[in-house]
Amino acid sequence: MGKMGEGSCSEEDLFDLLNQFEHILESDPLIDEVGFIHPSQFTLLNKEAGFSSEVQPDNRTWRSFWNQDHKLGISTDVLIRLCKDAKHVFLTAFEAYKCDVKACSESCSICTLESEVMKHSQSVLMLSSDFGTAWNARKLILSKKDQPCAFTEELRLSRLILSNCPKSEATWSHRRWIIKMMAQRFSTPQEIITKESELVEAVGERSKMNYRAWYHRCWLVSYMTIEQVLQELNKSKRWAGLHVADSSCFHYRRRLMLKILEPLNVKGSTAYDKTEAHKIWMEELDWNKELVERYVGREALWLHRRFLSLNWIMYFACNHSDVPSETGQSIIMNEETVNFIDNEILLLESSMTIPDTKFEDFQAQALHAAAYMLWLTKHIPELWRMLEEKLGTEKLKCVLSTIAQERSSLLHHLVNHTVNLA
Amino acid sequence: MVQLVADKHVRYILMAEKKKESFESVVMDHLRMNGAYWGLTALDLLEKLGSVSKDEVVSWVMTCYHESGGFAGNTGHDPHILYTLSAVQILALFDKLDILDVGKVSSYVAGLQNEDGSFSGDIWGEIDTRFSYIAICCLSILKCLDKINVKKAVDYIVSCKNLDGGFGCTPGAESHAGQIFCCVGALAITGNLHHVDKDLLGWWLCERQGKTGGLNGRPEKLPDVCYSWWVLSSLIMIDRVHWIDKAKLVKFILDCQDLDNGGISDRPDDAVDIFHTYFGVAGLSLLEYHGVKAIDPAYALPVDVINRIIFTK
Ligand SMILES: [Zn+2]
Repeated sequence: MGKMGEGSCSEEDLFDLLNQFEHILESDPLIDEVGFIHPSQFTLLNKEAGFSSEVQPDNRTWRSFWNQDHKLGISTDVLIRLCKDAKHVFLTAFEAYKCDVKACSESCSICTLESEVMKHSQSVLMLSSDFGTAWNARKLILSKKDQPCAFTEELRLSRLILSNCPKSEATWSHRRWIIKMMAQRFSTPQEIITKESELVEAVGERSKMNYRAWYHRCWLVSYMTIEQVLQELNKSKRWAGLHVADSSCFHYRRRLMLKILEPLNVKGSTAYDKTEAHKIWMEELDWNKELVERYVGREALWLHRRFLSLNWIMYFACNHSDVPSETGQSIIMNEETVNFIDNEILLLESSMTIPDTKFEDFQAQALHAAAYMLWLTKHIPELWRMLEEKLGTEKLKCVLSTIAQERSSLLHHLVNHTVNLA
Repeated sequence: MVQLVADKHVRYILMAEKKKESFESVVMDHLRMNGAYWGLTALDLLEKLGSVSKDEVVSWVMTCYHESGGFAGNTGHDPHILYTLSAVQILALFDKLDILDVGKVSSYVAGLQNEDGSFSGDIWGEIDTRFSYIAICCLSILKCLDKINVKKAVDYIVSCKNLDGGFGCTPGAESHAGQIFCCVGALAITGNLHHVDKDLLGWWLCERQGKTGGLNGRPEKLPDVCYSWWVLSSLIMIDRVHWIDKAKLVKFILDCQDLDNGGISDRPDDAVDIFHTYFGVAGLSLLEYHGVKAIDPAYALPVDVINRIIFTK
């Protein structure tokens, strides 16, 4: 170790700090939020909690940790020491535990070591949430447990850690492992899936565009019944409408929407399935259009529209068969497709007008709209002719030059290819 | 225009290894193996690998070797495929692959392949296309690709392709530039790039470039130097790098340097770190910046290192 005896901190003091920390965690099992706070915030927090400075005991605990109403604050002054010590103590305990298991020692010795490992790994993870070996140690011990409560408790701990480290990949991954274990050993926990989904939304509120959190929510979809999928689609709509730049949230909706299309891909899907899916798709397209017009220049919304429109054309705008045509295959331009495209061209035209106010947003809107239309054209080359017809050469030139300003090489390549194809 | 302050970056990297008293370095020490790979590769690209003690590094790397054949992120920790690749890459940089028990290391990696072709990161089973890339890259360096079912591995990666042309960590997961690099890299190494719709993916990738010239990793995110690597290397592998404005990107990376103390940050005026220093230098390498050695876009190692491996039997 070689880090003893620095300044006034003796070795005893150090382990004291860790002991105090672990004591707090043990004595308040209902802690639901943790955070690292600057020492100057302590005075403020104490004042808010109604403590006068005179009655404050001047001991180390008081200056290192703040624990009220099940919220725990750790002073940034003690983080380094605490983290180093916790890791050291954890790794030592884990090593001893593994040795004992290997040697098949008597069960009471293993039990003691087991609770040591659980205690210290918890401390480590509260301070360094991506410390994989500590999560692994817990998995090793948990996999020998057969009471559901051990796993529920683990969900609580990892939730607590996410309150401080919402992007911690190891923590999210650990939750998936727990849920998989629970699904295997007990029953598929439907209400856990619902709660997990709510957790992601709560985390997403405080940590924007959190890929790991939304990935976790997408992962849950495979455990959902079709009823849950529909519920989730409804429930996540409000949040998405309030966070129109959060592309991950819209990806989650795409994942759910694709789940609704799944029955249509298998032979024997009913007309009912198709009517229902058609309705949901239309609603999402209409809602997306509202958002696109209200929140000008938002990339995430236009990308969502690319997905919605292309799928809509592939699944619903060809009446000849129930099997959707693959991307790239020629799509038959029936009346419904033509109507759909007509409306999209109208949207494009209205998005191309740039007023003097809020110039940048509208400029972005024009670019996204033009790129959207060209993107669809890449998939459906027949669209090119419709664009020429409806827009006329002058307007079409204007659309292309909008893209050329930002992405000239891309445009050059695409126009050459598309024009040749059409 | 600002120039690359290479000497200062070299000094910054060498110092970062010695400075261990910040909270950041304490919470990062479980992935010290990755950190070592970033720092050492950046040094090699700047032709200064000689300024570290090869023996010291190599013997430290070997303290992280686990009896299972995998490597841990630091001494005494559990092995994981993430650190195994970094360890192999570090040994490749120093031309010390011969000290490995290649049979054992490659069996560890191959043992993580699942029935559906995907790869787990370790015995605990989390699946991710990043692990597919790592396995393929690692086994290719060790010349043991025949130990896995390449066809199934490729099929799994292809099943993670999205309608936007990008790839995610598992089927149906959101496209992300980091995951795209992994999937495209794995397909490139195994000669399977024909599974990629190059125009479509190139489109998504070039839309990552914003007005400042910097690249982001997903729609609506801020530009970040590390994506200079992931987006750029992917664009190069699919032959669409001319779809972005390279000169603007060079300027963006150079503007992220700490001109006084060395190091590169994610965005101009942010704090520097070793991770972004490596990705900044690697990005400049892909952009053929003067004075930086060429890096291989799929293996993420200097081209001369890869050539040495390929041309020795
Ligand atoms: Zn970054």
